Amino acid sequence: MTERNVETEVVIVPCSGIGKTYGTVSREASYIVTEDLQPTKTCLVALSRLVLGDEETLQHVAGHPAITIDGCKLACATKMVLKSGGEVVKNYAVLDVYRQYRQFKPQGIASLNEGGELLAQALAQEIAQQVDELLSGRGGDENG
Amino acid sequence: MDEYLTFQVDKFNFRVAPDRLYSRNGLWVKPEGQHLRVGLSDYLQQRSGDVAFAELKPVGTVVGRQDEFGTIETIKVNIGLPAPAGGKIIEINPMLEEAPEKINLDPYGDGWLVVIIPVDWEADQHSLLTPETYFGNILREAEGEASDQ
Repeated sequence: MTERNVETEVVIVPCSGIGKTYGTVSREASYIVTEDLQPTKTCLVALSRLVLGDEETLQHVAGHPAITIDGCKLACATKMVLKSGGEVVKNYAVLDVYRQYRQFKPQGIASLNEGGELLAQALAQEIAQQVDELLSGRGGDENG
Repeated sequence: MDEYLTFQVDKFNFRVAPDRLYSRNGLWVKPEGQHLRVGLSDYLQQRSGDVAFAELKPVGTVVGRQDEFGTIETIKVNIGLPAPAGGKIIEINPMLEEAPEKINLDPYGDGWLVVIIPVDWEADQHSLLTPETYFGNILREAEGEASDQ
């Protein structure tokens, strides 16, 4: 069985949907988490690397817990992580997040409108908090 | 219910329920005794995308034919819902506030929108399409769009 490096890092796998507003929101949120909010505790994984079967990426995903962000109900990010032998500890669907933050209506594709940026920020905050809870919870278990 | 009328364009399968009438813009109307149940066709819901919010006029509202009785916001568009028949709204689908995705998951069943007591159903029904006519319309539209791409 693969040993997961739970105490150190969570991989973030967003939707790869190009030309879809909700896909863009998922990627923007991922960038905010991995670059700004939790840069030392998270690692961004491009879904396309899993689809292409990149060996190094597959091993990385198999060895760390994953948070996936899906842009639509096809849930490609979640499905690919599971197919790659990874563990999805938390899945976010952008549509569900938008239902919580209706004031942030996302529009735009290559670049998001203000609502989309704010929605990505809100989603990123939730994920960052989830990362803390996940690592502290599991780390605490392992450290006794 | 008899089997759906179905067709496939590209990767999409579209279904038309044969036991109700349709407005030209894709709302279905199913007579149930003295009432009319109203919903979105499978074709319209698939073209519109995942529903984020459904807002319907409250019970007791009286609408004329073609008056807006609600709006639906999807990931792609906002859709105004013109009443396919005039009358008084006596029921709105209580599931849609918490689970608007029912419209996508089961447009001819649990995803219904409102129930209306019609004012002049005899007249209004003549403006609606049979399932076969609606099926032909959307088939031509979908195939036309596919051939343009």
